[in-house]
Amino acid sequence: MGLASASTATTAPEAMQLCIFDLRRGQNEGQELDKILFFYPADLPFSAQFSVIGLSEGLITFTRIFSPEAACEAIEADRHSHVFYEAEPDIWMVMVVEKSMEYEAKWRTDALRRVLKEVHSLFVMFHGSVRAMLDKDPGGVLARSHLYPFVMDYLGAFEKRSPFDECCWDFLVGKKLLMPSFRDSLKDRGTVQMLTVGREAAIEVQSLVRVLEASAGNLPCHSLILFQDLLVSTTLSPDDTVNLFAYAVLRLTPHVLSSGASSWSYLRKGATSNVSSSSILSTSGAVPEQYHGSHNNSSAGDNSSHVIRPLKLDKWSKGKDGFLATDIWGAEPSTGVSATPTVFLHQSEERMYLCAHQHKSLTLIFLIPVSSVLNGEQGLSTVKQQVLENVSLKLLKVEEKLSKGWGGENAYHVSGYRYLLVDGDRNVSRASPPGKVTTLSKESLLALNKLREEVDREKSRAQWDSAGHEKELEVSIRAKNNAWVIARVTRGKELYMVLEKANETLLYASDAVEKFSNRYCSGAFSLN
Amino acid sequence: MVAPTSDSLTEGPIVSIRYSLDSKFIAVQRSDQEIQFWDRGSGETFSQRCKSESESILGFFWTDCPLCDIVFVKTSGLDLFAYNLESKSLQLVETRKLNVSWYVYTHESRLVLLASGMQCKTFTGFQLSSAGIIRLPKFEMAMAKSEANNKPVLAAEDIFIVTVYGRIYCLQVDRIAMLLHSYRFYRDVVVQQGSLPIYSSKVAVSVVDNVLLVHQVDAKVVILYDIYADSRAPISAPLPLLFRGFPRSNSSSLRSNREDTESSEVNISDHEAIIYGDDWTFLVPDLIFSVSNKLLWKIHLDLEAISASSSEVPSVLEFLQRRKLEASKAKQLCLSIARTVILERRPVSTVARAIDVLVSSYSHSIKTGNYLKGTKAGKTLPSGMPHTTGPKLSADASASRVDAIGKSIKYESSAGVDSESPNRFLTFSNSDSEEDASFHFFDSKIDRGKLTGAETSVSEARSSLVNNPLDANLSEQQESQLTSPAISPDEMYSFVFAPVEEEMVGEPSYLVAIIVEFLRSANLEKVEVRPNLYVLTIQLLAHSERYAELGLFVLNKVFLNLLKK
Repeated sequence: MGLASASTATTAPEAMQLCIFDLRRGQNEGQELDKILFFYPADLPFSAQFSVIGLSEGLITFTRIFSPEAACEAIEADRHSHVFYEAEPDIWMVMVVEKSMEYEAKWRTDALRRVLKEVHSLFVMFHGSVRAMLDKDPGGVLARSHLYPFVMDYLGAFEKRSPFDECCWDFLVGKKLLMPSFRDSLKDRGTVQMLTVGREAAIEVQSLVRVLEASAGNLPCHSLILFQDLLVSTTLSPDDTVNLFAYAVLRLTPHVLSSGASSWSYLRKGATSNVSSSSILSTSGAVPEQYHGSHNNSSAGDNSSHVIRPLKLDKWSKGKDGFLATDIWGAEPSTGVSATPTVFLHQSEERMYLCAHQHKSLTLIFLIPVSSVLNGEQGLSTVKQQVLENVSLKLLKVEEKLSKGWGGENAYHVSGYRYLLVDGDRNVSRASPPGKVTTLSKESLLALNKLREEVDREKSRAQWDSAGHEKELEVSIRAKNNAWVIARVTRGKELYMVLEKANETLLYASDAVEKFSNRYCSGAFSLN
Repeated sequence: MVAPTSDSLTEGPIVSIRYSLDSKFIAVQRSDQEIQFWDRGSGETFSQRCKSESESILGFFWTDCPLCDIVFVKTSGLDLFAYNLESKSLQLVETRKLNVSWYVYTHESRLVLLASGMQCKTFTGFQLSSAGIIRLPKFEMAMAKSEANNKPVLAAEDIFIVTVYGRIYCLQVDRIAMLLHSYRFYRDVVVQQGSLPIYSSKVAVSVVDNVLLVHQVDAKVVILYDIYADSRAPISAPLPLLFRGFPRSNSSSLRSNREDTESSEVNISDHEAIIYGDDWTFLVPDLIFSVSNKLLWKIHLDLEAISASSSEVPSVLEFLQRRKLEASKAKQLCLSIARTVILERRPVSTVARAIDVLVSSYSHSIKTGNYLKGTKAGKTLPSGMPHTTGPKLSADASASRVDAIGKSIKYESSAGVDSESPNRFLTFSNSDSEEDASFHFFDSKIDRGKLTGAETSVSEARSSLVNNPLDANLSEQQESQLTSPAISPDEMYSFVFAPVEEEMVGEPSYLVAIIVEFLRSANLEKVEVRPNLYVLTIQLLAHSERYAELGLFVLNKVFLNLLKK
């Protein structure tokens, strides 16, 4: 393959590795390289890449003997943690993180798995499934050429930037690649954060949604409305909502557009350093060669030359008419107009045009089936103008109403509590504002991280033990620094809580939970 | 039908003739100097003459003003007399001195307008109500000039006093400008309120159910205005006036029903050819008198035809919601219009505006207490109706029953209002909201006989209601007692959303959109929505598997009182 030269770049053990591979490929001796669809860092010697994949494959094969449905989830080695995620049948994603004695390297495998899950879901939303790509192009070039920029954009490490431009990385802070650690224990990736609105505002919002739907004519249209970084309304299924919400928060919200920076600011706020990944910057420039260069003469050569990168930074901007535009999807050759993005809906299995309109803090995303719009871009722009005409008045009204009711960044702070509330049925979570979480001491957060790991394990065990029976769980821990760390799981809902400066009795702690539950969760976690 | 009574008078010229308000006397103006009085009980007569030869009597009218019983309008001013029972003579109570060219008086407004000046366009007004006498400020009417030295003179037939929604207006024909100017009377000021175009040299004005009818006599059409709204646009295109005999039918745009006069045996069809004849006399508010036909007609609005002649749904509904004379008809029309616009899948914004009209009208009727009595009465007999017999039918029947009872109560209370409303008279002319009080001026005194007739029919309806609540004719009779066409959320559900849901085919998302608009409107007006509508919404969302939205509805407590229970 002639790639040996690339592997000489570094010999230092990478702190974080992420690979995607297909177990159905490269079955024969000497074709092992064919399995690999993505590997980070790309400049790792193939021998090292093989050893990661070989170990993972071995474990998967071995554990499948006992549990064919759900093979290996994680390996805890002496110095590394391996996190497994079977994204599609036989397509595996594995993340390897280094363990260290430092506090920062306390991982929660479920949180890491959520990262894998998110990047895959987003990939499928834009490009369709990996398997479909492999079926289309058995050589694998199509899949590789899409996966590489996508995952790298996701990790925020693909573009070569000046070392001073630190603010624009998603996981890369400074020169560190920052994976969710114990400091993020009061967060839940893969869930949606919602704005709480009053009844009147809710009806106004619904009215807006209906008018929007009606004004698209007979087209089966879907919509998603965000206020700031919070979801207000959706007509999509929970899965699609989570994906689109994640993308909107990453690339579309006013906050992202105005700062020119990506969101997930909360990831940066609390934490310092995790993994040394200095090699990313120096080596990433040479990487695509490995994937493009070697298979350039294959059937999918045309596709690989023009790969759409939906997660590319700073590519969205707000137009004069309030619609958000991007040239990521290229331009229509005939008109020179930027092509409208399309996404693939999980529920309806339909390709939809993604139109985003923004008025102040309100972002309105509506999806129109590609198949139902005639004349391509021209037809679409007519529909867009028509929709805007019909909803603009209501849009102003709703924005005004929501702004009035908006309590600001700390709106969902409950004094004395640091909490995370997860509704697993609806994929919705709410947590203390990040600024408040940072006031917690390391000890509390570490204890919580540990507790969550424990709950994750209990949950997955319950899932396999007795399917259909939901786990009821209550744990209260007195941490070393005398803080109460509490978890309650009931009827698909989870509540995690840290109470520092609390009274020492357990009665006090459970009383505090009770109060919180009654006041903010309509008594969902109350014992009576 | 009331059997006609006759009084025989002594021979002599008759300039004008009027019954007293208590019907005990008849006053006959014999000349411009003399008015003769005839006591119907005793048969005695006496005469009242002008004091001096230089003044002459222009006319007279009876009044319920506490100071006096009858007012003479003379060229030199007003003479107010009280009738002295003992001496059987008139006693001069007060004299108001001013030059009068001619005058206009209507009993429903209790207002007399005295014209003076070269062009007769300077007016002084007095209101003689049971609250006393109020003198309105002197004001001038606008007259366009045709040529420099040719000044038109205003005539009495160019002035109409009309009462619409309890407000008193004066309408003045300006023949040069071809405009009908309107003036509104307040206690201490007279304000010109815009003009309506006229298309005929002869114009007459009627008021039916607070709708202003401007008869364009030459063109033989009527243009209708609803002066409640700010807009001075006509409600519909010009409509023809049509004759209709008993029984009333619904086919035409405007119907004239004959009064029960002695000429009732005359065949109506003979006269259909002479609409707007030269001898027609228009009597305010809603009567037309034809000398040659020996007929008196009462004008009646055909709401169905009027609403069919306009495509602006929200404004038609507004118009219908303000109708009180045929409230039940208006209500049925509103319901059917609402159903139609939804079934025709008109744009959501249009339907939303229509719904806003209905909801705000209901909210207003709640506030003024028009509707509340009906619903309260309805609640006292909730189990009387078997709810097993098809949801639509039973809902229909119970609703009409609620109406009937609500109405009968309303009627009694309105009679109470009637007696005290003269006291409020000038206050109401200052405020816009008191349609109710004012409305009864139509009926008071003059129509007393008819009113009691109506009351008896109500009590009949009520008693037979207990016996056989499903009788078709009866329910019609009950509905005719409705005082407000306001539609409650419950009725919106039973007569609009539920039937529409049954008939509608295909995606229910349109109907959900309409229901959301209804909820928004109801929330805005603070009107409580019944749980059945929420249940329907949930069903619609669930059937189309829109669980995400259903979740949001629940999360945001849109189904407010459903959750409470």
